[in-house]
Amino acid sequence: MKTYSLILTALTIGCVSALAVSDEDFQKMQQQIQDLQKAHQEDQQEIQRLKEQVGSTQKTTAETQQKVEAAEKKAEEAQQTAAAATPAATGPEARQNFMIVGDAEVQFGKTEGQHSAFELADFAPIFLFRATDKVLFEAGFDVILQNGTTGSHDSGSGNSVSLSFGTLDYVFNDYVTVVAGDMLLPLGTYSERAAGWLNKIPDSPLPRDVLPGAGVGLQLRGALPVGESGQAVTYAVYGVNGPSSTTNTSNAGDLDLGGNVGLTSGGNSANLHGSPSAGGRIGWFLPWRAHWDAELGVSGMSGTWNDGDNKQWSAFVFDGALHLSPNFELKGEYVNTWVESTDHGTFTPRGWWIQAGYKLAGLQLDLPLINSTELVARYDTKRDGIGTRTERYTLGYVYYITNTLWFEGDYEFVNCSDHSQANNNLVFQLSYGF
Amino acid sequence: MNRFQLFSTLAGVAAISVVVVSLAFADTGEKPAAKKLTGQELYAINCGRCHSERYATERTPAQWKTLMLHMRTRAQIPAAQAKEILKYLQEDAGK
Repeated sequence: MKTYSLILTALTIGCVSALAVSDEDFQKMQQQIQDLQKAHQEDQQEIQRLKEQVGSTQKTTAETQQKVEAAEKKAEEAQQTAAAATPAATGPEARQNFMIVGDAEVQFGKTEGQHSAFELADFAPIFLFRATDKVLFEAGFDVILQNGTTGSHDSGSGNSVSLSFGTLDYVFNDYVTVVAGDMLLPLGTYSERAAGWLNKIPDSPLPRDVLPGAGVGLQLRGALPVGESGQAVTYAVYGVNGPSSTTNTSNAGDLDLGGNVGLTSGGNSANLHGSPSAGGRIGWFLPWRAHWDAELGVSGMSGTWNDGDNKQWSAFVFDGALHLSPNFELKGEYVNTWVESTDHGTFTPRGWWIQAGYKLAGLQLDLPLINSTELVARYDTKRDGIGTRTERYTLGYVYYITNTLWFEGDYEFVNCSDHSQANNNLVFQLSYGF
Repeated sequence: MNRFQLFSTLAGVAAISVVVVSLAFADTGEKPAAKKLTGQELYAINCGRCHSERYATERTPAQWKTLMLHMRTRAQIPAAQAKEILKYLQEDAGK
Protein backbone atom coordinates (compact mmCIF):
# COMPACT_ATOMS: atom_id res chain seq x y z
CA MET A 1 0.00 0.00 0.00
CA LYS A 2 2.78 2.32 0.85
CA THR A 3 4.34 1.83 -2.60
CA TYR A 4 1.08 2.50 -4.42
CA SER A 5 0.55 5.67 -2.43
CA LEU A 6 3.96 6.89 -3.35
CA ILE A 7 3.34 6.18 -7.06
CA LEU A 8 -0.03 7.97 -7.05
CA THR A 9 1.38 10.89 -5.18
CA ALA A 10 4.25 11.10 -7.63
CA LEU A 11 1.88 10.94 -10.65
CA THR A 12 -0.39 13.60 -9.18
CA ILE A 13 2.47 15.86 -8.44
CA GLY A 14 3.83 15.14 -11.92
CA CYS A 15 0.50 16.00 -13.65
CA VAL A 16 -0.04 19.11 -11.64
CA SER A 17 3.41 20.36 -12.15
CA ALA A 18 3.81 19.11 -15.75
CA LEU A 19 3.01 22.38 -17.24
CA ALA A 20 5.37 24.17 -14.98
CA VAL A 21 8.40 21.85 -15.09
CA SER A 22 11.14 21.75 -17.61
CA ASP A 23 12.08 18.68 -19.69
CA GLU A 24 14.99 18.02 -17.43
CA ASP A 25 12.81 17.93 -14.35
CA PHE A 26 10.26 15.77 -16.14
CA GLN A 27 12.93 13.20 -16.98
CA LYS A 28 14.09 13.16 -13.35
CA MET A 29 10.56 12.46 -12.18
CA GLN A 30 10.21 9.77 -14.81
CA GLN A 31 13.38 8.16 -13.50
CA GLN A 32 12.04 8.30 -9.96
CA ILE A 33 8.86 6.60 -11.10
CA GLN A 34 10.86 3.84 -12.72
CA ASP A 35 12.90 3.41 -9.54
CA LEU A 36 9.73 3.13 -7.51
CA GLN A 37 8.29 0.54 -9.87
CA LYS A 38 11.50 -1.47 -9.57
CA ALA A 39 11.36 -1.30 -5.78
CA HIS A 40 7.75 -2.43 -5.89
CA GLN A 41 8.67 -5.48 -7.99
CA GLU A 42 11.47 -6.39 -5.53
CA ASP A 43 9.03 -6.14 -2.61
CA GLN A 44 6.63 -8.43 -4.43
CA GLN A 45 9.40 -10.96 -4.97
CA GLU A 46 10.40 -10.81 -1.29
CA ILE A 47 6.79 -11.37 -0.19
CA GLN A 48 6.54 -14.38 -2.49
CA ARG A 49 9.77 -15.80 -1.11
CA LEU A 50 8.57 -15.41 2.48
CA LYS A 51 5.28 -17.09 1.62
CA GLU A 52 7.19 -20.04 0.22
CA GLN A 53 9.30 -20.23 3.39
CA VAL A 54 6.23 -20.26 5.62
CA GLY A 55 4.72 -23.04 3.58
CA SER A 56 7.90 -25.07 3.82
CA THR A 57 8.09 -24.59 7.62
CA GLN A 58 4.47 -25.67 8.07
CA LYS A 59 5.16 -28.79 6.05
CA THR A 60 8.24 -29.62 8.15
CA THR A 61 6.28 -29.10 11.38
CA ALA A 62 3.55 -31.41 10.23
CA GLU A 63 6.07 -34.08 9.28
CA THR A 64 7.83 -33.78 12.65
CA GLN A 65 4.55 -34.09 14.51
CA GLN A 66 3.76 -37.23 12.58
CA LYS A 67 7.15 -38.67 13.48
CA VAL A 68 6.63 -37.85 17.19
CA GLU A 69 3.23 -39.50 17.19
CA ALA A 70 4.72 -42.57 15.54
CA ALA A 71 7.53 -42.72 18.13
CA GLU A 72 5.07 -42.38 21.00
CA LYS A 73 3.00 -45.20 19.58
CA LYS A 74 6.08 -47.40 19.29
CA ALA A 75 7.14 -46.60 22.91
CA GLU A 76 3.70 -47.47 24.19
CA GLU A 77 3.79 -50.76 22.29
CA ALA A 78 7.27 -51.46 23.70
CA GLN A 79 6.06 -50.79 27.26
CA GLN A 80 3.15 -53.11 26.83
CA THR A 81 5.44 -55.79 25.43
CA ALA A 82 7.92 -55.35 28.31
CA ALA A 83 5.20 -55.49 30.94
CA ALA A 84 3.89 -58.70 29.45
CA ALA A 85 7.34 -60.29 29.21
CA THR A 86 8.91 -59.24 32.60
CA PRO A 87 8.52 -61.68 35.51
CA ALA A 88 7.06 -60.41 38.80
CA ALA A 89 10.16 -58.41 39.82
CA THR A 90 8.08 -55.98 41.84
CA GLY A 91 6.29 -58.68 43.82
CA PRO A 92 6.83 -59.41 47.50
CA GLU A 93 10.41 -60.09 48.58
CA ALA A 94 11.53 -63.56 49.58
CA ARG A 95 10.55 -64.55 53.11
CA GLN A 96 13.86 -66.22 53.86
CA ASN A 97 17.26 -64.64 54.15
CA PHE A 98 20.66 -65.75 55.37
CA MET A 99 23.47 -63.44 56.32
CA ILE A 100 26.63 -63.25 58.38
CA VAL A 101 27.57 -60.42 60.70
CA GLY A 102 30.08 -60.37 63.53
CA ASP A 103 33.48 -59.08 64.42
CA ALA A 104 37.17 -59.88 64.39
CA GLU A 105 40.00 -58.82 66.67
CA VAL A 106 43.76 -59.02 66.90
CA GLN A 107 45.50 -58.23 70.21
CA PHE A 108 49.04 -57.27 71.07
CA GLY A 109 49.89 -57.13 74.73
CA LYS A 110 52.58 -56.70 77.32
CA THR A 111 52.03 -57.95 80.84
CA GLU A 112 54.34 -56.78 83.58
CA GLY A 113 57.14 -59.31 84.08
CA GLN A 114 56.49 -61.04 80.74
CA HIS A 115 57.55 -60.60 77.14
CA SER A 116 55.26 -58.71 74.82
CA ALA A 117 53.41 -60.70 72.19
CA PHE A 118 50.62 -60.85 69.70
CA GLU A 119 48.36 -62.63 72.14
CA LEU A 120 45.13 -63.33 70.38
CA ALA A 121 43.33 -63.45 67.07
CA ASP A 122 39.59 -63.85 67.22
CA PHE A 123 37.09 -64.30 64.40
CA ALA A 124 33.55 -64.15 65.76
CA PRO A 125 30.91 -64.61 63.06
CA ILE A 126 27.20 -64.51 63.83
CA PHE A 127 25.04 -66.51 61.44
CA LEU A 128 21.52 -65.20 61.01
CA PHE A 129 18.84 -67.14 59.17
CA ARG A 130 15.41 -65.52 58.86
CA ALA A 131 13.01 -68.36 58.18
CA THR A 132 9.89 -66.18 58.23
CA ASP A 133 9.04 -62.68 59.38
CA LYS A 134 8.64 -64.10 62.88
CA VAL A 135 11.32 -66.79 63.09
CA LEU A 136 15.06 -66.18 63.30
CA PHE A 137 17.88 -68.63 63.96
CA GLU A 138 21.07 -67.05 65.22
CA ALA A 139 24.38 -68.59 66.17
CA GLY A 140 27.52 -66.80 67.31
CA PHE A 141 30.90 -68.50 67.21
CA ASP A 142 34.33 -67.60 68.48
CA VAL A 143 37.26 -68.93 66.49
CA ILE A 144 40.30 -68.05 68.57
CA LEU A 145 44.02 -68.45 68.22
CA GLN A 146 45.66 -67.69 71.54
CA ASN A 147 49.18 -67.98 72.87
CA GLY A 148 49.85 -70.73 75.37
CA THR A 149 48.56 -69.98 78.84
CA THR A 150 49.44 -73.17 80.66
CA GLY A 151 51.53 -71.37 83.25
CA SER A 152 54.54 -73.56 82.55
CA HIS A 153 56.89 -73.44 79.59
CA ASP A 154 54.65 -73.48 76.51
CA SER A 155 56.04 -72.68 73.09
CA GLY A 156 52.83 -73.10 71.19
CA SER A 157 49.45 -71.56 70.86
CA GLY A 158 45.96 -72.87 71.18
CA ASN A 159 43.09 -72.91 68.76
CA SER A 160 39.51 -73.06 69.85
CA VAL A 161 36.12 -72.91 68.25
CA SER A 162 33.26 -72.31 70.60
CA LEU A 163 29.59 -71.49 70.39
CA SER A 164 28.93 -68.19 72.16
CA PHE A 165 25.21 -68.51 71.64
CA GLY A 166 22.78 -70.37 69.42
CA THR A 167 19.08 -69.63 69.61
CA LEU A 168 15.77 -69.84 67.86
CA ASP A 169 13.85 -66.58 68.21
CA TYR A 170 10.10 -66.58 67.66
CA VAL A 171 8.20 -63.30 67.65
CA PHE A 172 5.04 -64.27 69.49
CA ASN A 173 3.52 -60.80 69.19
CA ASP A 174 4.59 -57.15 69.44
CA TYR A 175 5.44 -57.55 73.10
CA VAL A 176 6.78 -61.07 73.52
CA THR A 177 9.62 -62.86 71.76
CA VAL A 178 10.41 -66.43 72.70
CA VAL A 179 14.12 -67.27 72.71
CA ALA A 180 15.17 -70.90 73.02
CA GLY A 181 18.62 -72.48 73.03
CA ASP A 182 22.03 -71.44 74.25
CA MET A 183 21.44 -67.80 75.05
CA LEU A 184 23.40 -64.88 76.39
CA LEU A 185 22.00 -64.21 79.84
CA PRO A 186 20.53 -60.79 80.60
CA LEU A 187 22.36 -60.46 83.90
CA GLY A 188 23.10 -56.79 83.49
CA THR A 189 23.65 -55.77 79.88
CA TYR A 190 27.33 -56.53 79.37
CA SER A 191 27.02 -60.08 78.01
CA GLU A 192 24.58 -59.04 75.31
CA ARG A 193 26.61 -55.98 74.27
CA ALA A 194 30.17 -57.20 74.54
CA ALA A 195 31.23 -57.86 70.96
CA GLY A 196 34.77 -56.73 70.21
CA TRP A 197 33.72 -53.68 68.23
CA LEU A 198 31.10 -52.66 70.82
CA ASN A 199 33.22 -52.89 73.93
CA LYS A 200 35.54 -49.91 74.10
CA ILE A 201 38.05 -51.70 76.31
CA PRO A 202 39.33 -55.07 75.04
CA ASP A 203 38.81 -57.16 78.16
CA SER A 204 35.74 -57.71 80.31
CA PRO A 205 35.20 -55.96 83.64
CA LEU A 206 36.43 -58.05 86.58
CA PRO A 207 33.06 -58.71 88.27
CA ARG A 208 31.78 -60.41 85.11
CA ASP A 209 33.93 -63.36 86.28
CA VAL A 210 31.42 -64.16 89.01
CA LEU A 211 28.49 -64.40 86.57
CA PRO A 212 27.64 -66.93 83.86
CA GLY A 213 27.70 -65.42 80.37
CA ALA A 214 25.29 -67.85 78.73
CA GLY A 215 22.93 -70.65 79.57
CA VAL A 216 20.82 -73.27 77.82
CA GLY A 217 17.10 -72.84 78.28
CA LEU A 218 14.03 -70.84 77.36
CA GLN A 219 13.42 -67.10 77.64
CA LEU A 220 10.60 -64.65 77.09
CA ARG A 221 11.66 -61.09 76.37
CA GLY A 222 10.39 -57.90 74.86
CA ALA A 223 9.63 -54.26 75.34
CA LEU A 224 6.62 -52.13 76.14
CA PRO A 225 6.76 -48.59 74.71
CA VAL A 226 5.94 -45.76 77.11
CA GLY A 227 4.44 -42.67 75.51
CA GLU A 228 5.67 -41.42 72.18
CA SER A 229 9.14 -40.18 73.02
CA GLY A 230 10.97 -43.46 72.55
CA GLN A 231 10.78 -44.56 76.19
CA ALA A 232 10.40 -48.26 76.85
CA VAL A 233 10.19 -50.72 79.68
CA THR A 234 12.09 -53.87 78.79
CA TYR A 235 11.86 -57.27 80.40
CA ALA A 236 13.28 -60.77 80.20
CA VAL A 237 12.37 -63.89 82.16
CA TYR A 238 14.05 -67.23 81.64
CA GLY A 239 14.80 -70.69 82.90
CA VAL A 240 18.16 -72.30 82.16
CA ASN A 241 20.13 -75.33 83.25
CA GLY A 242 22.19 -73.06 85.49
CA PRO A 243 25.56 -73.51 87.18
CA SER A 244 26.97 -76.82 88.32
CA SER A 245 29.86 -78.40 90.18
CA THR A 246 33.09 -79.53 88.57
CA THR A 247 33.18 -82.46 91.00
CA ASN A 248 30.60 -84.36 92.96
CA THR A 249 31.25 -82.17 96.00
CA SER A 250 30.08 -78.68 96.82
CA ASN A 251 33.24 -76.95 97.96
CA ALA A 252 33.69 -73.30 96.99
CA GLY A 253 36.30 -74.07 94.37
CA ASP A 254 34.04 -76.52 92.56
CA LEU A 255 31.50 -73.98 91.31
CA ASP A 256 31.22 -74.09 87.51
CA LEU A 257 29.22 -71.18 86.12
CA GLY A 258 29.53 -72.60 82.62
CA GLY A 259 26.41 -74.66 82.76
CA ASN A 260 24.65 -77.61 84.24
CA VAL A 261 25.29 -80.10 81.47
CA GLY A 262 27.93 -82.74 81.83
CA LEU A 263 28.77 -86.37 82.38
CA THR A 264 27.35 -87.91 85.53
CA SER A 265 29.32 -90.36 87.62
CA GLY A 266 27.20 -93.10 86.08
CA GLY A 267 28.44 -92.14 82.63
CA ASN A 268 25.19 -90.56 81.53
CA SER A 269 25.23 -87.34 79.56
CA ALA A 270 22.69 -85.38 81.50
CA ASN A 271 22.23 -82.48 83.83
CA LEU A 272 24.37 -82.96 86.91
CA HIS A 273 21.55 -81.91 89.17
CA GLY A 274 17.82 -81.86 88.68
CA SER A 275 16.82 -78.25 89.27
CA PRO A 276 17.13 -75.54 86.64
CA SER A 277 17.86 -71.93 87.49
CA ALA A 278 15.47 -69.07 86.88
CA GLY A 279 16.17 -65.42 86.31
CA GLY A 280 15.05 -62.20 84.77
CA ARG A 281 15.74 -58.56 84.14
CA ILE A 282 13.58 -55.48 83.99
CA GLY A 283 14.89 -52.26 82.54
CA TRP A 284 13.81 -48.74 81.78
CA PHE A 285 15.13 -46.85 78.78
CA LEU A 286 14.57 -43.10 78.86
CA PRO A 287 15.75 -41.05 75.86
CA TRP A 288 15.41 -37.26 75.82
CA ARG A 289 16.44 -37.09 72.20
CA ALA A 290 18.92 -38.87 69.95
CA HIS A 291 22.17 -39.60 71.84
CA TRP A 292 20.80 -38.21 75.11
CA ASP A 293 19.41 -41.03 77.22
CA ALA A 294 19.54 -43.02 80.43
CA GLU A 295 18.99 -46.73 81.01
CA LEU A 296 18.55 -48.50 84.33
CA GLY A 297 18.04 -52.19 84.96
CA VAL A 298 17.87 -54.76 87.72
CA SER A 299 18.35 -58.46 87.13
CA GLY A 300 18.82 -61.65 89.04
CA MET A 301 19.12 -65.39 88.79
CA SER A 302 18.96 -68.24 91.25
CA GLY A 303 19.24 -72.02 91.33
CA THR A 304 21.04 -74.94 92.89
CA TRP A 305 24.53 -75.79 91.65
CA ASN A 306 25.80 -78.98 93.30
CA ASP A 307 25.04 -82.57 92.38
CA GLY A 308 23.21 -83.00 95.66
CA ASP A 309 20.82 -80.26 94.51
CA ASN A 310 20.87 -78.58 97.91
CA LYS A 311 23.35 -75.72 97.56
CA GLN A 312 22.02 -72.46 96.20
CA TRP A 313 23.67 -70.01 93.84
CA SER A 314 22.03 -66.61 93.42
CA ALA A 315 22.95 -63.35 91.71
CA PHE A 316 21.77 -59.76 91.70
CA VAL A 317 22.92 -57.17 89.17
CA PHE A 318 22.15 -53.48 88.90
CA ASP A 319 23.11 -51.85 85.61
CA GLY A 320 23.02 -48.28 84.38
CA ALA A 321 24.06 -46.28 81.34
CA LEU A 322 23.98 -42.59 80.50
CA HIS A 323 24.59 -40.77 77.23
CA LEU A 324 24.94 -36.99 77.24
CA SER A 325 25.44 -35.89 73.63
CA PRO A 326 26.90 -38.15 70.92
CA ASN A 327 30.29 -37.77 72.60
CA PHE A 328 29.90 -38.74 76.24
CA GLU A 329 28.99 -42.13 77.66
CA LEU A 330 28.96 -43.45 81.21
CA LYS A 331 27.96 -46.98 82.15
CA GLY A 332 28.50 -49.56 84.83
CA GLU A 333 27.20 -52.50 86.82
CA TYR A 334 27.05 -53.62 90.41
CA VAL A 335 27.18 -57.39 90.88
CA ASN A 336 26.53 -59.45 93.99
CA THR A 337 26.27 -63.22 94.18
CA TRP A 338 25.62 -65.66 96.99
CA VAL A 339 27.06 -69.16 96.94
CA GLU A 340 26.27 -71.87 99.48
CA SER A 341 29.18 -74.26 99.93
CA THR A 342 30.34 -77.03 102.18
CA ASP A 343 33.71 -75.59 103.09
CA HIS A 344 33.00 -71.81 103.27
CA GLY A 345 29.35 -71.71 104.13
CA THR A 346 27.61 -68.97 102.19
CA PHE A 347 30.18 -66.70 100.55
CA THR A 348 29.57 -63.67 98.35
CA PRO A 349 31.64 -63.11 95.19
CA ARG A 350 30.88 -59.55 94.12
CA GLY A 351 32.17 -56.38 92.54
CA TRP A 352 31.34 -53.39 90.43
CA TRP A 353 32.65 -51.42 87.49
CA ILE A 354 32.15 -48.04 85.94
CA GLN A 355 33.36 -46.91 82.52
CA ALA A 356 33.39 -43.51 80.84
CA GLY A 357 34.17 -42.49 77.29
CA TYR A 358 34.51 -39.10 75.66
CA LYS A 359 34.82 -38.58 71.90
CA LEU A 360 37.17 -35.70 71.27
CA ALA A 361 35.05 -34.69 68.29
CA GLY A 362 33.04 -32.91 70.96
CA LEU A 363 35.83 -30.35 71.27
CA GLN A 364 35.12 -29.30 67.66
CA LEU A 365 38.78 -28.88 66.79
CA ASP A 366 39.72 -28.81 63.14
CA LEU A 367 42.08 -31.77 63.61
CA PRO A 368 40.97 -35.05 61.95
CA LEU A 369 43.30 -37.18 64.09
CA ILE A 370 41.79 -35.78 67.28
CA ASN A 371 38.21 -35.89 65.99
CA SER A 372 38.52 -39.64 65.35
CA THR A 373 39.69 -40.42 68.87
CA GLU A 374 37.74 -41.34 71.98
CA LEU A 375 39.30 -41.37 75.43
CA VAL A 376 38.12 -44.14 77.76
CA ALA A 377 38.61 -44.91 81.44
CA ARG A 378 37.33 -47.67 83.67
CA TYR A 379 37.48 -48.69 87.28
CA ASP A 380 36.56 -52.25 88.15
CA THR A 381 36.88 -54.31 91.28
CA LYS A 382 36.08 -57.84 92.36
CA ARG A 383 36.07 -59.80 95.59
CA ASP A 384 35.96 -63.57 95.19
CA GLY A 385 34.28 -63.94 98.57
CA ILE A 386 36.96 -66.18 100.01
CA GLY A 387 39.73 -63.68 100.61
CA THR A 388 41.03 -62.30 97.33
CA ARG A 389 40.33 -58.74 96.27
CA THR A 390 41.35 -57.29 92.91
CA GLU A 391 40.94 -53.78 91.62
CA ARG A 392 41.99 -52.24 88.34
CA TYR A 393 42.27 -48.77 86.84
CA THR A 394 42.28 -48.61 83.06
CA LEU A 395 43.10 -45.64 80.85
CA GLY A 396 42.98 -45.84 77.10
CA TYR A 397 41.71 -44.66 73.77
CA VAL A 398 39.75 -45.79 70.76
CA TYR A 399 40.87 -44.49 67.38
CA TYR A 400 38.08 -44.82 64.83
CA ILE A 401 39.70 -45.63 61.50
CA THR A 402 36.18 -46.08 60.16
CA ASN A 403 32.87 -46.46 61.95
CA THR A 404 33.52 -50.19 62.36
CA LEU A 405 37.31 -50.45 62.28
CA TRP A 406 38.88 -49.45 65.57
CA PHE A 407 42.40 -49.32 66.93
CA GLU A 408 42.31 -49.43 70.71
CA GLY A 409 45.04 -49.05 73.29
CA ASP A 410 44.82 -49.36 77.07
CA TYR A 411 47.03 -49.49 80.11
CA GLU A 412 45.70 -51.31 83.15
CA PHE A 413 46.97 -50.68 86.67
CA VAL A 414 46.20 -53.79 88.71
CA ASN A 415 46.15 -54.13 92.49
CA CYS A 416 45.47 -57.50 94.06
CA SER A 417 45.64 -58.96 97.55
CA ASP A 418 47.27 -61.94 95.86
CA HIS A 419 50.44 -60.19 94.72
CA SER A 420 51.18 -62.82 92.08
CA GLN A 421 48.18 -61.51 90.16
CA ALA A 422 48.99 -57.82 90.57
CA ASN A 423 50.57 -57.35 87.16
CA ASN A 424 49.94 -54.25 85.10
CA ASN A 425 48.99 -54.73 81.44
CA LEU A 426 49.43 -52.87 78.21
CA VAL A 427 47.13 -54.01 75.43
CA PHE A 428 46.46 -52.89 71.87
CA GLN A 429 43.60 -54.26 69.82
CA LEU A 430 42.47 -53.90 66.24
CA SER A 431 38.74 -54.55 66.03
CA TYR A 432 36.45 -54.82 63.06
CA GLY A 433 32.69 -55.19 63.08
CA PHE A 434 31.01 -56.53 59.97
CA MET B 1 9.94 -72.11 100.49
CA ASN B 2 13.61 -71.61 99.69
CA ARG B 3 14.99 -68.77 97.58
CA PHE B 4 14.99 -70.82 94.39
CA GLN B 5 11.36 -71.74 94.74
CA LEU B 6 10.47 -68.16 95.58
CA PHE B 7 12.42 -66.83 92.62
CA SER B 8 10.96 -69.43 90.25
CA THR B 9 7.46 -68.60 91.40
CA LEU B 10 8.01 -64.88 90.92
CA ALA B 11 9.54 -65.47 87.48
CA GLY B 12 6.61 -67.64 86.48
CA VAL B 13 4.09 -65.05 87.63
CA ALA B 14 5.98 -62.33 85.78
CA ALA B 15 6.07 -64.39 82.58
CA ILE B 16 2.36 -65.16 82.71
CA SER B 17 1.58 -61.50 83.43
CA VAL B 18 3.59 -60.35 80.45
CA VAL B 19 1.84 -62.79 78.13
CA VAL B 20 -1.59 -61.80 79.44
CA VAL B 21 -0.90 -58.08 79.12
CA SER B 22 0.49 -58.49 75.63
CA LEU B 23 -2.49 -60.53 74.51
CA ALA B 24 -4.77 -57.87 75.95
CA PHE B 25 -3.01 -55.18 73.95
CA ALA B 26 -3.14 -57.35 70.83
CA ASP B 27 -6.87 -57.95 71.17
CA THR B 28 -7.89 -54.35 71.73
CA GLY B 29 -5.50 -52.88 69.23
CA GLU B 30 -4.46 -50.28 71.83
CA LYS B 31 -0.85 -50.28 70.82
CA PRO B 32 0.97 -47.38 72.43
CA ALA B 33 3.24 -46.89 69.45
CA ALA B 34 5.80 -44.10 69.26
CA LYS B 35 4.48 -42.52 66.09
CA LYS B 36 5.70 -38.98 66.52
CA LEU B 37 9.36 -39.86 66.08
CA THR B 38 10.63 -40.58 62.59
CA GLY B 39 12.47 -43.75 61.66
CA GLN B 40 15.68 -41.78 61.40
CA GLU B 41 15.25 -40.37 64.91
CA LEU B 42 14.39 -43.77 66.34
CA TYR B 43 17.42 -45.24 64.61
CA ALA B 44 19.69 -42.66 66.25
CA ILE B 45 18.03 -43.14 69.64
CA ASN B 46 18.06 -46.94 69.74
CA CYS B 47 21.06 -48.01 67.71
CA GLY B 48 23.59 -45.34 68.59
CA ARG B 49 23.56 -46.14 72.28
CA CYS B 50 25.35 -49.47 71.79
CA HIS B 51 27.37 -49.23 68.60
CA SER B 52 28.71 -46.90 65.93
CA GLU B 53 26.37 -45.79 63.19
CA ARG B 54 25.94 -48.23 60.30
CA TYR B 55 25.01 -46.80 56.94
CA ALA B 56 21.78 -47.86 55.27
CA THR B 57 23.65 -48.56 52.05
CA GLU B 58 25.74 -51.29 53.75
CA ARG B 59 22.90 -53.84 53.48
CA THR B 60 20.13 -54.81 51.13
CA PRO B 61 16.49 -54.38 52.16
CA ALA B 62 16.22 -58.12 52.85
CA GLN B 63 19.34 -58.06 55.02
CA TRP B 64 18.04 -55.10 57.00
CA LYS B 65 14.87 -57.04 57.65
CA THR B 66 16.88 -59.95 59.05
CA LEU B 67 19.10 -57.65 61.09
CA MET B 68 16.16 -55.78 62.55
CA LEU B 69 14.59 -59.06 63.64
CA HIS B 70 17.89 -59.85 65.37
CA MET B 71 18.31 -56.40 66.93
CA ARG B 72 14.69 -56.10 67.95
CA THR B 73 15.21 -59.21 70.07
CA ARG B 74 18.72 -58.45 71.28
CA ALA B 75 18.27 -54.76 72.07
CA GLN B 76 14.63 -55.12 73.10
CA ILE B 77 13.34 -52.44 70.75
CA PRO B 78 9.54 -51.98 70.84
CA ALA B 79 7.88 -53.49 67.76
CA ALA B 80 6.40 -50.26 66.40
CA GLN B 81 9.76 -48.50 66.71
CA ALA B 82 11.58 -51.41 65.06
CA LYS B 83 9.20 -51.20 62.10
CA GLU B 84 9.86 -47.48 61.64
CA ILE B 85 13.61 -48.00 61.86
CA LEU B 86 13.41 -50.81 59.30
CA LYS B 87 11.41 -48.63 56.93
CA TYR B 88 14.02 -45.88 57.25
CA LEU B 89 16.92 -48.25 56.57
CA GLN B 90 15.22 -49.98 53.66
CA GLU B 91 14.49 -46.68 51.95
CA ASP B 92 18.19 -46.01 51.44
CA ALA B 93 19.39 -49.61 51.42
CA GLY B 94 22.03 -50.85 49.01
CA LYS B 95 21.19 -53.04 46.04
